[in-house]
Amino acid sequence: MPAGTWYSGEWGISSLASRLLGVVADARLMRRGFHSGTPRPATWAERSTAVPDRPSDLAWARMEPVRSIRYGIQKGLSAPFAEVMTHPQIEGSEWVQQLDRPAILVANHSSHADTPLLLHALGDRVRERTVVAAAADYFYRRPWLGRVVSLWLNTFPFARSGGAQEVMHRSSVLLKSGWNLLVFPEGTRSPDGRLQPFKPGVGHLAVENRTPVIPMHVRGSQRVLPKGRNVPLPAPVRIRVGKPLSPGAGETSRDFADRVEQAVQALAKGSTSPELTGSWIERWKASDKRAPRPRARLGPEAPE
Amino acid sequence: MARPGAVIEVDRNTPPTLFHYGEGFRLERLPLGSRIVYPPDPIDPIGHPERAIRRALSNPLEDDPLKELLRPGMKLTIAFDDLSLPLPPMAAPDVRGLVIEEVVDAAARAGVEDVELIAAISLHRKMTADEIRHIVGDRVFTTFWPDRLYNHDAEDPSQNVLIGRTNQGEEVWLNRRASESDLVVYVNLTLVPMDGGHKSLATGLGCYRSVKAHHTVDTLLQSRSYMHPPDSALHASCVRQGELIEDAVRVFHIETSVNNHSFPAVANFLQKRETDWTTGDQAAFFALKQVTDLAPPDVKRAAFHSMLAPYGMTGVNAGQVDKVHDKTLENVRRQMMVPVEGQTDIVTLGVPYLGPYNVNSIMNPVLVVCTGLGYLFNLYKNKPVVREGGVVIIEHPCRYEFNAVHHPSYVDFYDEVLADTTDPHEIESRYEKRFAEDAWYRQMYQQSHAYHGVHPFYAWYWAAFTLQHCGDVIVVGGDRATVHRLGFKSATTLEDALEMAEQTVGRWPSITHLRTPPLMLCEVD
Repeated sequence: MPAGTWYSGEWGISSLASRLLGVVADARLMRRGFHSGTPRPATWAERSTAVPDRPSDLAWARMEPVRSIRYGIQKGLSAPFAEVMTHPQIEGSEWVQQLDRPAILVANHSSHADTPLLLHALGDRVRERTVVAAAADYFYRRPWLGRVVSLWLNTFPFARSGGAQEVMHRSSVLLKSGWNLLVFPEGTRSPDGRLQPFKPGVGHLAVENRTPVIPMHVRGSQRVLPKGRNVPLPAPVRIRVGKPLSPGAGETSRDFADRVEQAVQALAKGSTSPELTGSWIERWKASDKRAPRPRARLGPEAPE
Repeated sequence: MARPGAVIEVDRNTPPTLFHYGEGFRLERLPLGSRIVYPPDPIDPIGHPERAIRRALSNPLEDDPLKELLRPGMKLTIAFDDLSLPLPPMAAPDVRGLVIEEVVDAAARAGVEDVELIAAISLHRKMTADEIRHIVGDRVFTTFWPDRLYNHDAEDPSQNVLIGRTNQGEEVWLNRRASESDLVVYVNLTLVPMDGGHKSLATGLGCYRSVKAHHTVDTLLQSRSYMHPPDSALHASCVRQGELIEDAVRVFHIETSVNNHSFPAVANFLQKRETDWTTGDQAAFFALKQVTDLAPPDVKRAAFHSMLAPYGMTGVNAGQVDKVHDKTLENVRRQMMVPVEGQTDIVTLGVPYLGPYNVNSIMNPVLVVCTGLGYLFNLYKNKPVVREGGVVIIEHPCRYEFNAVHHPSYVDFYDEVLADTTDPHEIESRYEKRFAEDAWYRQMYQQSHAYHGVHPFYAWYWAAFTLQHCGDVIVVGGDRATVHRLGFKSATTLEDALEMAEQTVGRWPSITHLRTPPLMLCEVD
């Protein structure tokens, strides 16, 4: 057989195919060997919930030029990807467009796709001023992963176990600095898509800071990236945004958290009651782009 | 100042003439001495449409300003025309959306809580969410969809009420929500003179029992033409129905008109006369023709239906229906009218890819007849361009293809009814009732996006006058079996068709080509 034909030799198609198959075989071996994408074997020791020694609040992620880089990534990659994969149907977005002060954005959580989809639904103006509470023991266990998600989604480490005071303090500082806070009060992804009980921290945060809470609900993200999968699949997603809720006078943080949970549940059921989604006149006025909008009251940047 | 329409006589120097040919084009050499009727160029649009709309709402014709009609606690219904207008669909923002936004704004300022928006689809297919969003705009859509913004359902007995009967015995039905409202605001877009006026509300929010009062073969035969309302029996019937509605419901009517800027910049040459084509236009046409000749129909269709027209608003008027419509017709005629001297033996026209009933869909053979012989042929005032007993030659591929979702009853109409007869009277008497009351078609209309079961009959009736008036209809370039099923003659080339036409109208016939779209109205003296 003559050497140098298109199908033989070092760069022939046979060789290239062989190399490609080799890479695939290695990847498959690693994947199977480390059980990625499958439940953790029962014989393995419990995974440590270790938090980095000195968790940083990653202030660098909220500074220039990182903010501009993140804007480019989200506009150029995340948004088109979300549109193509999920055709997100967004209802009630006017409630976040008219934010005139920092708010806590509260949503159900059933998939890693929730965060980019919710940020996409917020629109440029609000997304640019939103930080996301990310599980410290999951995303920040590996420093490189923490940096990547902070760059991409503007996350900060949120400890799910221990150090509640510290976490609440850091969250309050961010709210007072003019940042909106996106949190998932269920604490972890729902295994079956159903809403799990909310943790009371969100009520505490809202009552302590007198901050409005915007309930949101994502439906369909579980089909895009269910728990245990790493490769997203195309599926339609609906995101509903409810009318902002504010803690009532004398309302305890526990009661307020319950009220927020009920609002998210009602959004999940598709309720269109004016108490939840606002009357059409309220929503119409909220969506008026011609009306002068009060500037967001942005405080000084949080101290390091 | 826009250039008016013109009638050009073909001589040795006349360039080949463009014929629309479904999702494609043909260039034809017309015999020397033939006439080509060109539409006027687009007239200048209103510079600031929003301001004009606000002015119209504040200074209505023979009615109170809108804001004085709005009060807290009232029930307000806003109805608007569906996607059958304009053609092609208007590039965003649609003028209906601009008007609706101003009306909703006024309602919000007045504190009117109970507001609903209804797409006045009549017996047309229900629009999809995206199609409605395109018409009303994002802001209105996100505020009202889907609970307070929806399609009218002409087949839901609980949603339609009998308003009464006219002095001619025509039943008048109206959407229940509209009939129970303290105020109905109708937002119309008038593209051709047959649109708008009382026809909007009486037909758009009516049901089969009210529409069938005037969508009959006899009524359409007595409409010379229905593009000229004063001579149209169809419009006279609609006026009677509309006046009855006005007695029962408080109506505030808003009409808009647009110019005939029908093609986006990429296909700008379609807007121009062939003599005005630059080298670039010629190259663009050549390239487009090669592509459309080679590409499969589905690909071409997707490309053509994605084209949106950059129409400009030429007028907006609000107030009492008749007064508003008179003003609108003035604007429409200003854009469309072309004086044509005398009738002709043969009329030629190319049928484009789009008619009122196949937006985002397939132009099936029945719709080819409706568009070519129903609408384009009837774009005249006084007399048809072709003499009685003359010949109409249309160009269209006339493929046997249907959209099963949008046009289920069209398939059966073609396969069953036209196989039996093509005579409109016979079709009406023998088949209409069965299709109109068929439970399956009703189900498809209500639950899916299908045209009403009776709709193919109406599409056929639109052509009734042409079929009666003309001695022959010849289709050039059409599928032979399909053309024969429609009852017409088939020809491969225009030369063949002209030869065949001479059998009917005699040697040395006079020929007139209607170079449309853009649409025009021939005023034949």
